[in-house]
Amino acid sequence: MPQTVETLAPARDAESLPPPPPVAPPVYDDAIVRLFFGATVLWAVVGMLAGATIALELAWWKANLGIPYLTFGRLRPLHTNAVIFAFAGNVCFTGIYYSLQRLLKVRMWSDTLSRFHFWGWQGIIVAAAITLPLGLTQSKEYAELIWPIDLAIAVVWVAFAANFFGTIAIRKVDHLYVAIWFYMSFVIAIPILHIVNNLAVPATMVRSYPVYAGMTDALVQWWYGHNAVGFFLTTPFLGLMYYFLPRAAERPVYSYRLSIVHFWSLVFLYIWVGPHHLLYSALPDWAQTLGMVFSLMLLAPSWGGMLNGLLTLRGAWDRVRTDPVLKFMVVAVSFYGMSTFEGPMMSIRAVNGLSHFTNWVIGHVHSGALGWVGMISFAVLYWLAPRLWDRPLARPGWATTHFWLATIGIVLYTVSMWAAGLTEGLTWRALDGAGQLKYASWVEIVAQLRPFYWLRFAGGTLYLLGAILMAVNFILTVRGARGGASAAPAKTAAEPALA
Amino acid sequence: MGKSIQRDQVTGHADEADGIEEYDNPLPDWWLGLFWFTIIFAIGYTLHYHFIAHRSPQKELAAELAAARVQWPEGVAGAAFVPTHELAEKGEAIFKTNCVPCHGEDLHGKIGPNLTDDVWIHGGRPDDIVRTITNGVQAKGMPTWGPILGPERVKEVAAYVISEHGK
Ligand code: HEC
Ligand code: HEM
Ligand code: HEM
Repeated sequence: MPQTVETLAPARDAESLPPPPPVAPPVYDDAIVRLFFGATVLWAVVGMLAGATIALELAWWKANLGIPYLTFGRLRPLHTNAVIFAFAGNVCFTGIYYSLQRLLKVRMWSDTLSRFHFWGWQGIIVAAAITLPLGLTQSKEYAELIWPIDLAIAVVWVAFAANFFGTIAIRKVDHLYVAIWFYMSFVIAIPILHIVNNLAVPATMVRSYPVYAGMTDALVQWWYGHNAVGFFLTTPFLGLMYYFLPRAAERPVYSYRLSIVHFWSLVFLYIWVGPHHLLYSALPDWAQTLGMVFSLMLLAPSWGGMLNGLLTLRGAWDRVRTDPVLKFMVVAVSFYGMSTFEGPMMSIRAVNGLSHFTNWVIGHVHSGALGWVGMISFAVLYWLAPRLWDRPLARPGWATTHFWLATIGIVLYTVSMWAAGLTEGLTWRALDGAGQLKYASWVEIVAQLRPFYWLRFAGGTLYLLGAILMAVNFILTVRGARGGASAAPAKTAAEPALA
Repeated sequence: MGKSIQRDQVTGHADEADGIEEYDNPLPDWWLGLFWFTIIFAIGYTLHYHFIAHRSPQKELAAELAAARVQWPEGVAGAAFVPTHELAEKGEAIFKTNCVPCHGEDLHGKIGPNLTDDVWIHGGRPDDIVRTITNGVQAKGMPTWGPILGPERVKEVAAYVISEHGK
């Protein structure tokens, strides 16, 4: 496939292009990609710093310095919102704006909407970063933001969706590559989930009352909550994998068939699994069963994505040893497989009885979040940086250091949380010879967790250090050539259209 | 499945996918097997849980309680309270872990009242003391220890409190 290799060269400046081909090559909007790229790196560091801070507070609560804005209860939602909506969201937008234009051979439909999307989304994040420490919250996990911000999210997302589908409408190719299906599921599912879960009657500017009550509220919340995992932390990232992994590996995707089957089964099954967050609750039994069995059936469709990723690397394994981008991708896809095996197991009633409410869930969350979402994001960023700024990465060696910091960090994080979770699950239910609780004092059990909390803090800190190293590397990369002899990079890089 | 499918055949969409080629390889057998297995298990489990065994969390709880009643007959927990030295000895450790912050090492009182004098707000008979400890005095900050310690250990710690009387 000579074309594949050719397109792997970084985008060239307008000046250095060969004589114009008969058909004008599409001119892509890469400035917007660079904006989202920068925002991603910034929020990655901020979000993970918040994560490391609350990890420290759990091990040593005095780290909150007695300042109400820094207490665990307020920083925790700040962490989750920053890493999910700011870091993960912006990296998805970065990858989508880059790949969508190239896959469809057309510039984004509207530059104005692209800019509105970018600034609107960053504004929402800043609003979140102000309101959450102030304690303004709706108290729904991952949907904490108060109603005016919720409205802004809906408006900005509709603008993004219009631009996204507008671009698809004016595309220059017939076929829609698999990455785009995954992006579509993200663009369509998120506003539906967001609007339905946040329906509320405003009382004041910062307070509102949800339209649902009791069990209905819980069910809607976790229908939203799990699909946020499914359509925010999974499908767009699978889309990124389908675009960036074959490009980085320079290998054909293993199976088109598998991609179709696992895409449709994945999006169909995800919608039903929310009740696995409400096992042994007041939710009707049949709904709990539904959540459990649909989660089990989700195993194979999830592994379909992992297989297509790993098998695409056939013939490129020698490069995995040297190329940090591929290293990040291999670990990402492996952790995706791991957490999507763990998830279905935790959905089994008996297992959930042990794992629910314990740190095991936190371990599971972060094997997906740090292992899958984080690592695939780093791969995409490292692959994109030289192409977006048309210059080599300033410190290639640092990328490998980052890889090891992150990998060791994840292992420390997940292993310590599994151990903490099992400790909790087993001690809570242990009975003594007289049928009484063996560990009746809650405080005693919590005190036992402290070594694990310290270990998790250490792991998280390594992960954060890696991200900071990456940020510095990108700053050096971008600054590097500005002082250099080469011409300033063209605002809109163009790639020659494929023959 | 007929195995005439050729491996590593490209679909030919690459020019419409930014140069990314796709093979049209068949689904791995074991993957398909896993998918079917989970689907069949899902159907089997649902039928069994709801329509054959008629299981439910309520029944699970009832069964556990019934088993507990057999293993720890009600009589033990419900027996009349007679403070003894053995009980008091066991109670000392329980007092040290749970009660010292409020009642003090020597039981002379801190946040909570002195437990060694003759003044009893809630009654000084052994059964009164057991009842106070079991139910607590939420409004005044005395925790409800019954569910935390369980009846056996409440009795032990009560015996300890009584044994310290007058010290
Ligand atoms: C958080 C503080 C706190 C802890 C811990 C605590 N207590 Fe108390 N306790 C109190 C307070 C306050 C009162 C007084 C209640 C009232 O004024 O009605 C009290 C009252 C009592 C009384 C009744 C005294 C009377 O005059 O009637 C007994 C007996 C007692 N506590 C035993 C215990 C034992 C045994 C423990 C440990 C298992 C314990 N307390 C732990 C705060 C505490
Ligand atoms: C430096 C890295 C990180 C550290 C140290 C860290 C630490 C933490 C801590 C301490 C908690 C609270 C756990 C508890 O309440 O017991 C938490 C929750 C959470 N974090 Fe992170 N985190 C990090 C990165 C990330 C990333 C990158 C993501 C997502 C992409 C993420 C997603 C979440 C989510 C979703 C929760 C809520 C989990 C739940 O409610 O079950 N974290 N994190
Ligand atoms: C087949 C795939 C998966 C299944 C079936 C699954 C299942 C589960 C289950 C059973 C829980 C525990 C619920 C509880 O007891 O409270 C859970 C929690 C969670 N999972 Fe997964 N999981 C899967 C994949 C993932 C992935 C890939 C990620 C992240 C990228 C993820 C993120 C989370 C989060 C954030 C929570 C915590 C929710 C909360 O309580 O705040 N899951 N998941």
